[in-house]
Amino acid sequence: MLQKKICMLGSFAVGKTSLVRRFVESIYSDVYQTTVGVKIDKKNVKLGDKEVSLVLWDIYGEDDYQKMRWTYLRGASGYLLVADGTRKATLEKAFTLEQKVREVVGAIPFVFVINKSDLIRDWELDSAIESQMAVQGWNILRSSAKTGEGVEESFSLLAQKMLG
Amino acid sequence: MPDVLENALTEMGFALLDYRGNGEFLPIAKLPAWFSELWAGAVNSSHPIPLSQISPFVENFLLDAEGFWKSPGGAVCQSETWIEKAPSGREIPLQARALLLNEKRILALFSPDSQFREQVKVLQTARDASLDHERLAREIQKKEILLHCIVHDLSQPLSVMHVAMDSLSEESISERSRQFLTLGKHAGNQQETMIRQILQTFSADLQATLEAGAEGNSSPDLLECARKAMTLLGPTFETKGVRLAASSNVDLESKWPVVAEESRLLRIYSNLLENALRYTPAGRRVTIGVEDEGEFLKAFVDDQGPGLPSDLRPEQIFGLFMKGKQSGGKAGLGLYFCRITVERWGGSIGCVALPERGSRFWFRLPRASGHLGTIPPRAEATSSAVGTKRNLPAARPLRILFADDHEDIRTLTTHQLKRRGHHVVIANDGKQALKAFRSAAFDVVLLDQEMPGMTGDEVARAIRIAEQGKRTHTFLVASTGNTTSEDVRCLKSAGFDHVLGKPFRLEDLNLVLSSSPAAQRVSKESPAPATRLTTDFAELTARVGGDEKLLKRMIRMFLKDTPKRLAGIAAAIRRNDPESLASLAHALKGAVSIFGAEAARKRSQDLQELGRNSEFSAASQALASLKEEIAKLQANLRGYANQTPARPKSNPSMRQRPPRKRGKRRR
Repeated sequence: MLQKKICMLGSFAVGKTSLVRRFVESIYSDVYQTTVGVKIDKKNVKLGDKEVSLVLWDIYGEDDYQKMRWTYLRGASGYLLVADGTRKATLEKAFTLEQKVREVVGAIPFVFVINKSDLIRDWELDSAIESQMAVQGWNILRSSAKTGEGVEESFSLLAQKMLG
Repeated sequence: MPDVLENALTEMGFALLDYRGNGEFLPIAKLPAWFSELWAGAVNSSHPIPLSQISPFVENFLLDAEGFWKSPGGAVCQSETWIEKAPSGREIPLQARALLLNEKRILALFSPDSQFREQVKVLQTARDASLDHERLAREIQKKEILLHCIVHDLSQPLSVMHVAMDSLSEESISERSRQFLTLGKHAGNQQETMIRQILQTFSADLQATLEAGAEGNSSPDLLECARKAMTLLGPTFETKGVRLAASSNVDLESKWPVVAEESRLLRIYSNLLENALRYTPAGRRVTIGVEDEGEFLKAFVDDQGPGLPSDLRPEQIFGLFMKGKQSGGKAGLGLYFCRITVERWGGSIGCVALPERGSRFWFRLPRASGHLGTIPPRAEATSSAVGTKRNLPAARPLRILFADDHEDIRTLTTHQLKRRGHHVVIANDGKQALKAFRSAAFDVVLLDQEMPGMTGDEVARAIRIAEQGKRTHTFLVASTGNTTSEDVRCLKSAGFDHVLGKPFRLEDLNLVLSSSPAAQRVSKESPAPATRLTTDFAELTARVGGDEKLLKRMIRMFLKDTPKRLAGIAAAIRRNDPESLASLAHALKGAVSIFGAEAARKRSQDLQELGRNSEFSAASQALASLKEEIAKLQANLRGYANQTPARPKSNPSMRQRPPRKRGKRRR
């Protein structure tokens, strides 16, 4: 079976682990539990007539306490870039990460996910920013690990992009 | 020796695996329990373990390990922690290290369980705290906006209501109307109390949160903050393809300390830069810079967007929930936050269209003290205790400059000030106020704090600068809804002598005016005659031969004619007409003499003399004093005219009705 490595990138507490858990196990917890280190999960998906095993690298969110190891991106076929709609600073962090990935591994497929759409009333991001990113050619999806909105779609879209 | 090391490592819980190539390993010692828990199915004593296939993390690490085994002289080759999930569901933290033992390529795996849990605990606490801080910063912004709305938008109309009802209560109205007025006043007081309670709660809460999150820099560097904002938003600009540059005209060597708080100053920059980015197309530039304006330092953000929205005036852009029709913005809070924050620090904010294309958003803040010192207020000011009943002091005519952008407050307050005999010059905004101040002398300058174009704080600072070296000190009063101790401190540092809390009442205002040095001076230099008639009603009746009806008719005539005479005097002063002035003053002197009003008579006589000597400037002041006395006399006479003769108990002899002329019948 075809195997594809996907990295989850984004600031801390944007919901990377929650998105993976929702996608792999259909579980969600409201309690924030920080990720220390790397967690790896697998999920098989069917894309058309192809079955693909997605290896999901849930990498800790970089901050003052944990610095990103770019070697984790080795062999990655794509990545999910995650921001928290309620925290504008996480959007800026996502832009920085995207640039860095391009420098380290080149232009590999990615999908930009703005998580926590269930809290849309508290969002600090506006649609203008999303439109700007779309103009840049980014694939942008809103998601909620809590409700499941946009989760399958995000991984599926990335898988499609990775398979070309 | 290596065997000893192997044994020691095994004892310590390491899984020691000999690398056999192709991602496969053979155990060289007894494997720890956690290894079996994770990969029991893969462990077979006769076959190597295909660990790279089982663990993607090990597969990844192997690339680093192979590099180490080839050139072991470099740094230690060790992984960070990763998590493997056992078939039971238990998550086991692991770390890997590449070793060379007996020329064997050894992968040492270790489960730092207790250390890991401790690390998780510490990071969890740190990140929770970081999230709390972010939440707090957002809450503070929301609260500041809400606080401002309460202070400004609710208090402003209440000020008008108070002054309007105070004015009404001084009119001659029916008893029933007075009852309604009392009800209205009572309701106004209740509303004011509620607003104040909310304010106090918010102020205490806000102060506590600010103190908790304080970063210690009370006079941040304007340029340094600009740099930080550029660093913060640089990637966002790059992503959109917009260049973010610092102005080339900035003096990088100078210090740019301002009265502000760093985190909020950073937020102001961020809001302005994001606003610029929103409207600037890819390929164009946004420039940030600072300028020295002496007492103030100015920051600006220039964009190359379409310019200012045609449907909004520049000052409206910073209003609450304001968005242009073409706006890509959100709720319209960002620029509003910038405005209220800058104004709270005693600064101002604005925007202009740039000549070629785009727009400039700027804000200026007071230079932090110690760099260009502010003049301390001469008189110790006290914040207003609005709502406290006080005895209304006797008014002295003062030259007052009054600036407020709220028309209703302007109209009513000016009416009341003039009614008390003061000379009032009105200004609709800060710039007008400063212009007026420069063209005439004033005893008191009463400034609304928040005015378009130029705030009350800025006017106060400009006045203090203008006074430097002149040995003058104008009594400056701030009229504002921001009356927390911090607000009062800021206003005093801007140069105000007194802070009058909004909504204010007439008695508060009068008390403040009476505390001004000019009022005190007038009081000492020319003690005002007692505001009373030298005779009582019985005596007055006696003067007109005991004819009460005649007296009342005279009073009515006096009340009717006096305003016209006063207006005539004012017109004569305006025309610089000495004869008319002297003549009208003389006539008025005679009229007031009938009623034994000595103070008013003396003021009229002074005015008459001034007319004869063509001293029109002094005549204006004298007229104000005369009006004050006349107003008191009119009030007294109205009382007399509406009642039966009073009989003072203190003087029994006065109780006796004056003798009537024989033969005349009372009608």
